[in-house]
Amino acid sequence: MNAQLKQAPLAAHLALPGALQIQGLSKQYRIEGQPLQVLQNINLNVNPGEFVSIIGASGCGKSTLLRLIVGLDNDYNGDILLDGQRITDTSLERGIVFQDHRLFPWMTVEKNITLALKNQAQSNTEKQQRVAEHIALVGLTGFEQAYPHQLSGGMAQRAAIARALITQPKILLLDEPLGALDALTRVHLQGELQRIWVQQRSTMIMVTHDVEEALYLGDRVIVLDSYPGRIKHEIRVDLPHPRDRAAPELKRLKDELLGELTGH
Amino acid sequence: MNYITRLKALRGLVLPVLLVLLWDALSRQGATWAYALVPVNTIGAAFVELLGNGELQTNLLASLARTTTGLALGIGFGVTVGVLMALSKVADRLIGPLFHSIRQVPMLGWIPLIAMWFGNGEVSKILIVTLAAFYPMVLNTYEGFSGVDKRYREVGRVLELSRVQQFVYVLLPAAVPSMANGVLHALAFAWVTAVGSELFLSSGPGLGNVMMNAEAGARMEIIVVCVLCIGLCGYLMNLLFSRLSRYVLRWRSIRG
Repeated sequence: MNAQLKQAPLAAHLALPGALQIQGLSKQYRIEGQPLQVLQNINLNVNPGEFVSIIGASGCGKSTLLRLIVGLDNDYNGDILLDGQRITDTSLERGIVFQDHRLFPWMTVEKNITLALKNQAQSNTEKQQRVAEHIALVGLTGFEQAYPHQLSGGMAQRAAIARALITQPKILLLDEPLGALDALTRVHLQGELQRIWVQQRSTMIMVTHDVEEALYLGDRVIVLDSYPGRIKHEIRVDLPHPRDRAAPELKRLKDELLGELTGH
Repeated sequence: MNYITRLKALRGLVLPVLLVLLWDALSRQGATWAYALVPVNTIGAAFVELLGNGELQTNLLASLARTTTGLALGIGFGVTVGVLMALSKVADRLIGPLFHSIRQVPMLGWIPLIAMWFGNGEVSKILIVTLAAFYPMVLNTYEGFSGVDKRYREVGRVLELSRVQQFVYVLLPAAVPSMANGVLHALAFAWVTAVGSELFLSSGPGLGNVMMNAEAGARMEIIVVCVLCIGLCGYLMNLLFSRLSRYVLRWRSIRG
């Protein structure tokens, strides 16, 4: 762990991680005139630099929750505060990685990542350097000039992670970022995510439906119940990062969590 | 490249060569046939004659210049109107009904009206070509810009792009494939209507005029040379633009 911390090249210009407070959050959709309660009375505090996993069956509103936090949807009741500021719109303080990588197919990997710096007051040389650093961080050096369709799913998702991180968000939201990948790539990228988070120490919230993934990465795992989405359970994972997948504590927590999710 | 693939590359020529042979054979079946289908060597002689006195080059260039000007104008106006209609609901409601009714009028139907307003000179011809290129350009630009994936717009919002940046880096590139398709159609229509307008408004140089004069002088071989020339030029322009758009759109995974 120390070796990995020492090589952290980005520490010099890291933004301070943010604290997220969600208070009495509710969200309704209207479907054919009928109100549908998606989230009900969500209360959640995320400490600066914490990694929180959110897990739940489909329909529990976990993706909706991330869309609200990132600011793509501001039609909600209650409060979402980042460092005390109410969230009303998108901001570079909050980054997101979607399940589908959403790289622009008409841009190379490098251009896609550089676009995130479009409105930052920096010289082009500085920007180039930062882009190169982040491409290296996600292990894509050598693929700068590749177009998204030339990348594998895992590589595209790495590029998307770099694009989300390069603006140094106070908080990074991960919406099932590894959900569409094959099992081997997923395990590999979980390790990578852990390494990146240890290096960056920004606040991260990851939505997933993979119990092992939630426990392996999270300091805390929040279990959401469905229809309407509400917090059902919370598990604290008191293991230092980076973690060993085979740790008996993880096994025990996994059984506890599975029991909670399946209701046994 | 081996022998067989080289032969395969030439298979597009099989049908044209067969047609020429058939034409030639029929033209030798007596005087009536020879009147209807001029012998191939007479056509060849006419081609050499037209090239020799520079008539073919001058008129071809005039037609091409008309096409290019009209095409450029049509694309320019077409993209503007298409973008406006796609991005502004107000513009769509204002322009949409008018545009969609006007475009039902066939190009030939406009010629008398335009001729009465603008005479039978260059202005009228270019206006007709512009109009022909304008329609497909509006339709395809509109389609391209209204079909931009919402997921990409969201990325633009998350990255805090300004409206102009969102247009330049997200909407426009996403619409380019559809717009390229529009240009391909506009190109074909522009070329066809350029020659067509020359047939109807017979003043000044142009392949259409050469054909009208040849008809008056009963020189079928010249008409045939012009027809071949028009077909070949259209084909070449199409080929050239397809190549160009394939290069511009190389980011797409589709091979074609």
